[in-house]
Parts: sequence; C-alpha cells; structure tokens
Amino acid sequence: MPSQLSFTGFAWKNLWRRRLRTLLTLCGIGMAIGAFVALVGFSRSFENEWLKLYSSSGTDIAVVDKNFMNSSVNQSKQETLRAVPVIDRADPMIFNIMDITPDVNALMFGWLDDSYEFDSLTFSSGGRFHNGKPEIILGDTLAKTLNKKVGDQLDLQGSTYTIVGIFHGGTGLESGAVIMPLDQLQQLSSLQGKVTGFHVRLKPAPAGESADHYLKRAQAEIETALPGLNAQPAADRAANNQFVTLAHAIAWGTSSIALMMGILGIANTMAMSVFERTREIGILRAIGWKAWRVLMLIQVEAMVLGFVGGILGIGFGWATLKLLATLPQTASVVSTNLDALHLVESLGIAVLSGLIAGAYPAWRGSHLSPVEALRHD
Amino acid sequence: MTNPQLEVRNLRKSYDEGRIEALRGVSLTINAGEYVAISGASGSGKSTLLHLLGGLDVATSGEVLFENAILGTAVNLDEYRANRIGFIFQAFYLLPTLRAIDNVQVPMLAINENASSRADRAESLLREMGLDHRLNQYPNELSAGERQRVAIARALANNPTILLADEPTGNLDSVNSARIMEILTGIQEKRGMTLIIVTHENDIANAAPRHIRIRDGRIES
Repeated sequence: MPSQLSFTGFAWKNLWRRRLRTLLTLCGIGMAIGAFVALVGFSRSFENEWLKLYSSSGTDIAVVDKNFMNSSVNQSKQETLRAVPVIDRADPMIFNIMDITPDVNALMFGWLDDSYEFDSLTFSSGGRFHNGKPEIILGDTLAKTLNKKVGDQLDLQGSTYTIVGIFHGGTGLESGAVIMPLDQLQQLSSLQGKVTGFHVRLKPAPAGESADHYLKRAQAEIETALPGLNAQPAADRAANNQFVTLAHAIAWGTSSIALMMGILGIANTMAMSVFERTREIGILRAIGWKAWRVLMLIQVEAMVLGFVGGILGIGFGWATLKLLATLPQTASVVSTNLDALHLVESLGIAVLSGLIAGAYPAWRGSHLSPVEALRHD
Repeated sequence: MTNPQLEVRNLRKSYDEGRIEALRGVSLTINAGEYVAISGASGSGKSTLLHLLGGLDVATSGEVLFENAILGTAVNLDEYRANRIGFIFQAFYLLPTLRAIDNVQVPMLAINENASSRADRAESLLREMGLDHRLNQYPNELSAGERQRVAIARALANNPTILLADEPTGNLDSVNSARIMEILTGIQEKRGMTLIIVTHENDIANAAPRHIRIRDGRIES
C-alpha cells in the first residue's frame, strides 16, 4: 500500500527531516524556558521556604514591633505576655542574618533552651543547647557545607561556640540556619535585654468559639496587654513580612525578565526558522494551497516545537535548580520541588510564544505573492 | 470551432515602482487543448506572462480571463491554481523533506481529497512517469531528470486543465530534455490538456504547433 501523506504527517516530516534545525530551534526554546523555570523556581522556592518556616513551628501569633526588620522589643514584656489568659506559651526570639565564613551566610535564631519551637526540629546528632553557655546547633545542610559535626567549634564574629547538635529543620531555611541560646545571640548582636519578638502558641479554643474568632480575640487581648506592639496571626506574618514581600518582588522581577528573554528568544528562533522557508511557502502557494492552510502548517510545527522545547526547558530548569541546591551559597534557599502550576505555566508560555512568534513570519510569508516567495533565497 | 480557454487583454506588468516594465500591453487568446510555446530572450517577459496566466502573480493593468471569467475577480486565484493549473518549474521546486510519493500528494491536500485515493493517485502518476522504483526516494536522492518527472506528476495531481511549464528542460542534459518533452507532449495529446511552455530553446519552441515570440515585453509574432 503506498505511503499516505496527511496534513499533520507533513508537519511532522518537516521537523523530522530537518533534524539539525529542529534540534537547534528546540535548544533555543529550551534555553529560554529553562531560564524562566530556573529563575522563577528559585524565587518561588525562597518564598515557599519562608512561608514554611513560619507554619512548621506551630506558632499561632507573632508579637513584634511595628517594623519586622528592625523589630526590637524589651524581653521583659515576656512576663506580661505570659499572663494573658489565652496564651499557652510565649517564647522570645531573635532573628538575624550573619556571615559564617566569607562565602557562607546563614539565618541565625536565638531561642530559649526550652522553646516550643524545638518541636519542629529533628536532631540527627547531639541535642539542645543550654541557656548561658556558648553552644550552638546547626542545620544539617549548613553542617555539611561547613564540614562540622557535634563537638566541633565554630567562630562567629570573634567568639567561639561549641556545636552541640545537628538538626534537620522543617524547611531548607532552617536546615541552613544556626540556632543558639537567646542570651548568646543578644550578646553577639549587642542587643542585651532586647528581642526581635515573641512567638506565641495559644491554648485550645473554648468549645463553641470558632478558631477565627478566638484568634481575633487573642490578638485583641495581647495588644491591650502590650500597647504599641502588634499581635499578628502567624499565617499573616508569614505571608506579609518584609522578607516574603522582598521574595515576591524578586520573583516578579526575575519572572518578568526571564519571560521577556524567553519570548524574545523563541520569537527570534521561530522567525528565523520561518523566514528561511519562504521559498517553500511559495511552492505550496504555487500549487494551490491557500494562505490560511500554509499558516496552519507552520503553526502546527510551531506548536510541536514549543511543546517539546518547553519540556526540554523544564528539564533544563530543573537541572539548574538541582545544581543550585547543591551549592553552599544557595543550598538553604533552593528547593527542586517545582509546583505543577509553574510547569503548566512554563509549557503554556513555550507553546504560546511559539505560536505567536511563528504567526507573523508565517502570515507574512503566506501573504507574499507566490512568485515573490519563490524568488526568495 | 475554437474554444477560448485563456484570454489576455492588454496585460501590463511593471516592477520597481514602474521603472522596469516586464510586459507592455500583451493580448492573446489560447484555446482549450492547444499546445503553445512562448520564447524570447532572457528578460523578455515570457516567464512573467506565464506567471500571470497561472495566477501566480497579479498584473499591473489589463486582464487575464479563464473561460470568460476574470482571474482574481470572478475566479479565486488559490482555487484556480489548485484545481485548474499544473505548474512545472525549471528548478523543480520539490519539497526536500518529502519523498517523491509524498511530494505528489501535497497539491491534493489543498482540495481535501481522501488519504487513500491521494496515495493511490500519486503512485499511479509516478508509475506513469516511469518512476515505479523511485516512489520512496527523497528529492536529493533523485537525478535531475527524475526530479522533473516527479514535478510533472505533482503538476498532474489535481487533474488540471492547463499545464504551464517554465523552462522545464533548462536544468537538464539533452537526453533528459528529450525525455521530458516527450512526456509533456504525450500528456497533452493523451489528456487533451492545454500545454503552455516557456523556453529559450528554439528546437523546443519550433516543435510546438503554435509559437509565440516575445521581445521587450511585447508579442513579436
């Protein structure tokens, strides 16, 4: 039986028989989408890690000064806070970022040695530190980066601390963090008597009162007891603190740049690919193909290129994130978990960009007079 | 009794904003089933005339009528090229990504003929061209003569009533030239098609029952 040529078969043969050009086009699209996947994935994973940091510790309310970054609250307010009837635990904490080595910086947390926030950590070796002692615990990612183990010492800002525990945190940020006794971090940061804020765990809501209502009542009671401070639900705090806002801005900025780069890259690749085929377009027009049919053929090819290029790009972006996740400079903030929405978004962008970018040169080519198109070199 | 199939009325075609005049008022009539050769020196306007007759291009002024209907107005050019015209070019213009049999099926995609009859017809046309053993070759695997025979099969794919050939032997040696001309005249006789050949070769032009000479965009004789 003789070989049958279909419309889609024709499109497929055009791609398959020009393997080198198809491969180069796919590489162009793949690189553009890969950059988009990696940059956006990087920003979003930072944001997600930050959100998880709040939610994994079991904190219901964060009590802070008005400005989180510069929040500085007297630790002495702890007693007033603990006397608020709805509060089960109210633990002071300091949050900071510090250079551990010239190449590595890390989040620093100062906690009391009986803080409930230890509940979210799993110790792989050693255990908690003791208040008043120059002891620290390290997240396992950071310990690996620094090549440290329990019993080793670490110099921070001119002071020496003994590592008494290595833990796995609920988030990448924690796993790349240093946690030390509150008093030690106060001393190290020259913040004696001051804390960043208090993390509060509430008593269970009374029967008949909704969780939302109870949370709002607790907020009001805390703010009445400590005028001038903000009591914010942890979820709000996680979503709205300045680090997350910054992460959002980074995500938006990098996404826009990556997207623009991607679309321009795809547009260029597709435009060149269609432009080179002007004579073929002329042949099809000369043998009776209508302009829309030629356009459809090129768009089917563009869609296939966009889809396959998008898949390659996702693979390339994921590999880049995986590489970043192994580098000490970025390991604590990069996760290789790409959310499905981001993947669908990337694939959609690849296909749409291919279609849009291919549309103009294809339209132009298909609307040239066949003679003009045939004369094209 | 004559049966005018194509009529050309005072046809003009200029390029480069009127600076180059390829055709300067050509008028002629071609009857159905006629075999016509158009000859002239390079740049005389013979190919331009063929392109306008085939609806590949539009005139600057004047009209081309197919069966008394004006091309581009009463007759849609895409449909005219798909259903009525078969083109053969000097440079063959086969699609390099497709095998011979697929190349012949491409025009049939434009008229939505069903897949199995497309393939059967393409195979039968290639057999008619003596290419039974070359059905699955790509153009770059074929000789120049074979490529032109595939191009002829492609031109016949949609059963056109007019065959237009622009220097069909221009890229061929004498043996293949003779073979191609034998095929074209055979088709014209067997199918009763109109055959219009543009050529600069006197032997070919003089062999045609009607010979139109073009010089500087005008019909000389």
